[in-house]
Amino acid sequence: MSAREAVAPSPLLPQPLLTDEDTARSHDRARVHHARTHRKRWYLLWLLVGPGILAMLGENDGPSMIAYASDGAQYGLGFFVPFIPILFAMAYVCQEMCMRVGAVTHRGYGELVLQRYGRVWGWFGAGDLTLTNLVTLVAEFVSIRVGLSYFHLGAGVAVALGLTLVVFTLSGGRYWRWERIVLGMALFNGLFLAAAILVKPHVGALVSSFDFAPFPSGSFNTLLLLLASTIGATVTPWMIFFQQSASADKGMTPGDVKHGRYDTAAGAVLAAIFGIGALVAGAALLAHGGSGIQGFAGAGFPEALKHVAGGAAGAVFALGLIEAGAVAILTISASTAYAAGECVGVSHSFNSSPRGAAVFYAANVGVALLAAVVILIPGAPLLSIVLNANVLATVLLPVSLVLMLMLANDRGLMGAWANKRSTNVIGIAVIAFVGLCGAAYGIDSFLQTVHLVGS
Amino acid sequence: MRTDPPDELIMHLEHDQFVAETSRPVARAALSSRTIAALWALRVFVVLVSLMVIYTFVEQLS
Repeated sequence: MSAREAVAPSPLLPQPLLTDEDTARSHDRARVHHARTHRKRWYLLWLLVGPGILAMLGENDGPSMIAYASDGAQYGLGFFVPFIPILFAMAYVCQEMCMRVGAVTHRGYGELVLQRYGRVWGWFGAGDLTLTNLVTLVAEFVSIRVGLSYFHLGAGVAVALGLTLVVFTLSGGRYWRWERIVLGMALFNGLFLAAAILVKPHVGALVSSFDFAPFPSGSFNTLLLLLASTIGATVTPWMIFFQQSASADKGMTPGDVKHGRYDTAAGAVLAAIFGIGALVAGAALLAHGGSGIQGFAGAGFPEALKHVAGGAAGAVFALGLIEAGAVAILTISASTAYAAGECVGVSHSFNSSPRGAAVFYAANVGVALLAAVVILIPGAPLLSIVLNANVLATVLLPVSLVLMLMLANDRGLMGAWANKRSTNVIGIAVIAFVGLCGAAYGIDSFLQTVHLVGS
Repeated sequence: MRTDPPDELIMHLEHDQFVAETSRPVARAALSSRTIAALWALRVFVVLVSLMVIYTFVEQLS
């Protein structure tokens, strides 16, 4: 008997009472049912895409795009153009599992880990998520601030914009509405592709970069930092929480897994293309002292691009940073809210009203508010926070991935939808790679800091 | 607010999709002692490396 059958009621019992959440979700499912029975294939795809694209484009956030542009400015295209698609292929493997578990069990990652493997592991996961999300959200507000500063607007506007978006998208009381608004915003991640076109890259150099040039030169620790931060720009704990919970909240079922895979794959392809766009835009600075523009130092990218490739390229890159930060604030706040509701054991759905899901809504707004307050603190070490956000996410990721792999292999929960052997082999390789890179950077940096090894 | 379920709405949701069903916890899995030990080892390792990253971060500030 499966874990879910063990708690399923007898068919002789009366039908459950509908909540507002059920009613909203069943309206969405009615449209899916109608599209499927009338063979409206494109409309069905339109209805079922969302969580995968949002997770992938949400992770193309401010720090990630700055990391890609930094890579390009310091090292050129050679190693990273083929490396970014490989990382997003790894992200696809992880996120497909999240989507499948959410669609089959109709439950979020946090609550499944907590109920299936015990409260300790559930709360550890939620703790990791809260820590990395807070740090990352600060970085997102900084990203918006950097973008706005190109247009001579300050930190106050960045905070107001971010918080207004969070409250506005929450105001509808429907998952569908929230998803479509954020999805519409996320497509503007394509601004980084526009920036890449505006810098007029050498097409031959771009094509030849797929030859997979040797690893970029530099100190061992710098290389580890590059790897850890680039991995952290592609796979993170919040994506795991978000896509599984959003798939369940959307009402996906095992019959939708095929479309969930299309959704996740489309997100991975778009994110890789736009990520390479940021890399190419950054690479335009390579021959113009680009190595001096690292991370957010001096908030240099939009201004530097303006001098090298014209005002349009600088403005588009700045707008891209604002978009990347804004979308990530919405998705990362949502993942925190899902985790809070799931771990506390109360309603956690965009389909519930704020009164019916107070913890969910309060966590959603609260975590964004907390991050916003940090960037308003005079003298706060924003640059260091931004540079360490992706690395911290990479270091904490392996535990979340292992538990995700366990859930996806749990035949009591997943039945015939459990992982195949090939998925497990790839999944274990991804976890080992991520764990090794994160740990190597953490340990090497620490040993250098305490002067046990030379830099 | 709870209402009587209209049939045309119920038919589009799977039985285990109802809030009343998802509110019921799934059964606890029986993990082997080896799996639990491996999870704890990974957890301790990750916490140690995280502390190293945070220490390095704080040192860089000063």
